[in-house]
Order: sequence, then C-alpha cells, then structure tokens
Amino acid sequence: MPKKLLIDTDPGVDDAMAILFALNSPELDLVGLTTIYGNVYVEQATENALRILEFAGRRDVPVAQGAAKPLLTPLEGVAHFVHGSDGLGETRQPPPTGEAVDQPAAEFIVETIIANPGEVTLMPVGPLTNIAIAVELDPRIVDNVAQVVIMGGAATVNGNVNPAAEANIWGDPHAADIVFGAGWPLTMVGLDVTMQIVMDATYLDALKEAGGRTAAYIHDITRFYLDFHRRIHGLGGLHTHDPSAVAYAIDPTLFATIRGGMRVLTEGIAAGMTLMDRRGEWYGEHAWTGRPPVDVCVEVDAERLLALYLERIVAAP
Amino acid sequence: MTKRRFIIDTDTASDDAVAILMALEWPDVQVDAITMVFGNMPIEQGGINARYTVELCGQETPVYQGTARPLLREPYYAEFFHGSDGMGEMHYPPPKRPLAGMDAVNELVRRFREAPGEITLITLGPLTNIALALSLEPKMAEWVKECYIMGGAACTVGNITPAAEYNIWCDPEAARMVFHSGMKIMMVGWEHCRGEANLDDEEMAMVYGFGTERAKFAMDCNQSALKASREWLGDPGLGLPDPMTMAIALNRDVCTRSSMHYVDVACDELTRGMTVVDELGVTNKEPNIEVCWEIDPVLWKETLYQTLR
Repeated sequence: MPKKLLIDTDPGVDDAMAILFALNSPELDLVGLTTIYGNVYVEQATENALRILEFAGRRDVPVAQGAAKPLLTPLEGVAHFVHGSDGLGETRQPPPTGEAVDQPAAEFIVETIIANPGEVTLMPVGPLTNIAIAVELDPRIVDNVAQVVIMGGAATVNGNVNPAAEANIWGDPHAADIVFGAGWPLTMVGLDVTMQIVMDATYLDALKEAGGRTAAYIHDITRFYLDFHRRIHGLGGLHTHDPSAVAYAIDPTLFATIRGGMRVLTEGIAAGMTLMDRRGEWYGEHAWTGRPPVDVCVEVDAERLLALYLERIVAAP
Repeated sequence: MTKRRFIIDTDTASDDAVAILMALEWPDVQVDAITMVFGNMPIEQGGINARYTVELCGQETPVYQGTARPLLREPYYAEFFHGSDGMGEMHYPPPKRPLAGMDAVNELVRRFREAPGEITLITLGPLTNIALALSLEPKMAEWVKECYIMGGAACTVGNITPAAEYNIWCDPEAARMVFHSGMKIMMVGWEHCRGEANLDDEEMAMVYGFGTERAKFAMDCNQSALKASREWLGDPGLGLPDPMTMAIALNRDVCTRSSMHYVDVACDELTRGMTVVDELGVTNKEPNIEVCWEIDPVLWKETLYQTLR
C-alpha cells in the first residue's frame, strides 16, 4: 500500500519538482499540501500549490494555507531572487481555478494525522512554522505520525543563507527547535546531501527530450533557478533540495544517516544553525541532554537518485 | 441588560481562582469560557481547580484544556507558592462536571471568530495558548476586543528571577509573540499587588467576617500563597496579582495611570522573560502595549470585596 504523504511547502521551483515527483511515484499517495511562506509569500505559495496540482490533473488533493510569518521573528523577505517573483521561475502561469480549503494548515495537519494513525508521512520542505503550531496544538500527532521527513538544515556542512544556517531552518529557527525536539521519528534531508545531488543542464535537457508535458514543465520552471545557481554558485546545474526528501520517502536506502540529538540556535549570529550532538557521550549535562535522537542524512547515492527522478518524470504523462 | 463578555485563560491556582470568582460574580459580566494552560499547576490540576471554582459559584461555564507545555522551554510549576494542590492544601473535592473539551486553542479561535470585537480576553497564566491561537489565526488579534494580561514587571523587579515575572518567564517566546501580535493589550504587572494593595491580617479577618462561602474560599485557598508572599517575597500580607488584573478588567477605574509604550520580552538566559518597557520612547518603535503604572488600592479592594460579600 502506498504511503500517505502530506507535504508542507512554499512552492518554489524545487518544491514543484518534488510535488510532481511524489504525484508520479506509486509508492506515495499525496493526501494534501499545506502551504507556508518561504520561497514566496504564503498567498503565492497557496496559488502555486493549486496550480501545480491542476497542472497534474489532481484537483482532488486538498490545499490548506498556513502561516504568513515565523513564530517570533519578523518575516525578512522571500526568495524571489532564487525562484522568480512568481516562485515558478518567471513562467507566468495563469491563476488556478480551485481554492484552498477553509482551514488553517496546522489544523489540517493535525486532523489528517489523527484520522490516519501511523500512516502519514509528514514532509515539510519550507520553514517549520506550521509543523510547530500543529505539534503544540495537538501533541498526539507525535505518536500518530508514521515519520517526519524534513528538507532543511545543515549538520556537517555550511548553510546556504550564511555559514551557519540553511534557508528553511533560518526562516523560523524557533519553530525548527520545537520540531526537532518533539520526539517523533524524524529524518533530516539537509544540505549535507542535497548539495551533492546536481541536476545539470544536460540532465534537464535529456529529461525534456525523453518525457512528456510533466518533463517539459520541469524544464521550463528550472530555467531561472538554473541561472541563479550559475550566478551564485558558478554551478552548471542545480542542487536537488526538495525532491531529495521525496526520494527518501520512496527509498531510504538511497541515503546513509547518522543519529543524535539536535538543537537549533534561535538567536545571535548563528541563528538557524542545526547543531547536532554527534558524539553522544558527555561528562555533564547540557542543552542537548535528553533531546530525542533524530536521523540526519549524510551520504547519498546521487547517481541512483537522479536516475529514479528521471525515470518517474519521464514516465509521467 | 447586555452583559460584557469575557474569556479567561488561566493556570488556575489560588489567586486565579479568586480572579475567576470575581468575574463570575460581577453583575454586568458574563464569562463565556475558561481556557486552561500549564503554569502554576500541571494542566490537569489547573482544570480541576478552575472547575471547582465555577461550581462553587453555582455556574456552568465551560472549561477547556489547552497547552501542557511552553513552546520551547521546560514547564516549571509553582506548587512551592500555591501548595501541592494549588489551593493552599485545602484539597477540595473533585469537580462534578467534566472538561468541556481538550482543544482550548481552537476553541479560542472559534469563539473570537464568531463574535469579533465583542469579547474581552483576560490572561492569568503563561501566554502559550494565546500565542498559538494568534499563530493559527492572525485575525484573532483584531477579533479580541481587548486583552488584559496579568504578567510582567514594568521597570521593576521580577518575582521568579530579578528580571522576570513568573507568567512571562514560563514561556517568554509565547509572550513575545503575543506582545507583537497587534492585539489591544493592557499589561498589569505583578508589582501592583504589592505594598498597599496587599491584604493585611485585619482585612483578611474582615473578609472571613463576610460569612459567605465565597469569602471563606477566597481566603482559605490562598493560605499557602500568603505564607509564600510573606516568607519568600517579604511582603506584609497577601498579594493577589490575578484578582488585581481582573479588578481592572471589571472596573477600569482601578487603574489610575497607564500609557502606551513599546514593550518587548527578553528571551536570553540572564533576562529570560523580562518585560522591557520603553518608558521614554528611546527606541522610536511603535507602542504596542498599554502599561498599567498605578492603581487605586482602596477601589481595588472594594472591587474585590463586592464579589465576596
């Protein structure tokens, strides 16, 4: 039976790539999208979530709009410079015809998990505000979720906003510290692995060449994103962030993980840093003592992951 | 007569109980609901105390259980202050009615959505429920008619650390979220229940002399708090921070001086939970909180007594 998947997302080019990956993978059953600010403002995120589902002919998947800003810190802006002002690489798609459900994202998350005990994979790929609110609203979701797979963080490498912080965690560090400490089965798919997986121009061209309209759509929306990677990273390809979380849900054997307690720094120059207890044994107590262990992906079979993504998108309508 | 509508968010121990009683007994006020938060007591005991108080007043106000923990911190209960039962070791019998629900945060959002601009919110505990409600539904900030917060210490000493008052200190991140939410807030610091506002031995004897069950309850359940007030805070008599805040919500004249200021909540270790009031406007930041500076001790006590006689 496919895994029920609930993605919390700020689409976002790589979010769109991840959603289409999930929709075209038989191992997964997308039961909803909840939206969050991040790559774009939340209203835009909701519009894009609806657009992507409509493109895929999946209007049956509900969308619930979430938080417009972090728990405590002001919203510092969104990543238009990465994803384009429309969040979909300046492709200027027509507005969606459908609407979000009349329920805040956090409530939707709680209801979905409680209604399907032990079955839902919760996959946040943006700032963690909705997830933190949900777990505070109803802590029972901790014991009722199948697993939480997070795209975000950087445990053993530099961040991508600054040397300390990855963008999703930096977006709401307080929420992230709540989510990492909640005590549920959690896997972090962060920059440690996502930056090892590069989709270059040749790969994306081959995807378009071999595939249908889904592949062509991905080729389209990645033009601006590819250009950003070229300008900022001097990279002839793009880092595969959000699709990697979906890949983990499909086949965790693509990754190697390490396990330990995680704290997220909430203040100071390193706010948003995911600082992991990678040692485990200490002489005294500290802020990591008693933190529930989480799994962090540190290695990935990039070649196999890229092949899987290509296979699924090429086979898509 | 249309009554003013209140919702009370509370971590019910002894002084919360008196504040609840005051609202339930006030003639032109109707308490729509009581929502529970951890704080003085673990959430379950708070709910028991709140329901006992409601029943003592012969009312059926629904009591909803809310958040059991701070957002990012560990809970720190105040049995050392209010007694192991939160009620001065009176160990009252269990309440007869069950909790009305387990989802206080959703209930807050639902009730304020249904009556925007009509209901006053009074908070007597840590602000976790309120912060979550505001995160879930930012329009809450407009829907709440006004909010009276028992919490903080305006430019004065704290009661749990030198910097901080207990309610704010318990969940400083939640307090910061609430303070910056745009909701219309009056902050009533714990300092206003000290000094002349304390009930001295003579006044407490007078209250017992009212001869009502309510008067006896209000004094009995605060016996641990009285002891702590004297021994721990070095105050002359019984300080009642939650009833003081409720007195202002019931009778605005109890606050004799207030003004709008920019107020933020410190979240670092040394000053955790400190309510930093920009009294002089040196930050040039938009004022967000009405700060209560002075109260009328005579009117405060008269307001309290009126509900106990």
